[in-house]
Amino acid sequence: MGESGAVPPRFAPGDRVRARAGDPDGHTRLPRYARGQTGRIVALTGNWPLADDVAAHRPAPRNEPVYTVAFDARALWGEGGHEVTLDLWQSYLEPAAESAAGPAAGEEPV
Amino acid sequence: MSRVNDVGGQTGFGRLEIERDEPPFSADWEARVYALNAALVRRGVYTLHEFRDAIERMPPQEYLAASYYERWLRAIETLTEGRTGGGTGGGADVRTGGGAGRG
Repeated sequence: MGESGAVPPRFAPGDRVRARAGDPDGHTRLPRYARGQTGRIVALTGNWPLADDVAAHRPAPRNEPVYTVAFDARALWGEGGHEVTLDLWQSYLEPAAESAAGPAAGEEPV
Repeated sequence: MSRVNDVGGQTGFGRLEIERDEPPFSADWEARVYALNAALVRRGVYTLHEFRDAIERMPPQEYLAASYYERWLRAIETLTEGRTGGGTGGGADVRTGGGAGRG
């Protein structure tokens, strides 16, 4: 599934990204605690069929880059000196600069 | 969608009790549920993502009251409903026999 039409990578290691703040319909692998949070791309792990599409049984799931993204634990939990790393599909992410002023229009603040 | 399973970072659920020398399964029916799910995924009846989605779609009050493998069994039943040949109910029934109780 999803072997054709791979989505090209939009981000590279070191880029600052923001996890989307909205609550998507259906299944997602973007945990609630990370939504709206800013992190750093650590690595590109390759392209994988988007879990949201596969869970919804869509016949041609989007084949997106998946990144390892590091978040500052203090930003997520209010304490801790370590990083929390998550593997996140590209459509879960946007450039951090796009939303430096706060959540985009139509999105709930987290 | 924010669902009942997504509790990362939430407090108030109490301590995680770590069981020393915990066996892989606490009852025979749990092992059967595990094997049945693996077989259904490998045969392409449904995907792991569909399986996770089915668990997440459990009504919150049922999800929170269910044990780990009871949630698995519920998801298997949801995803195989109407897809089994014959029998009654259409869902998977692996809790017959053994009688080892619920885990």
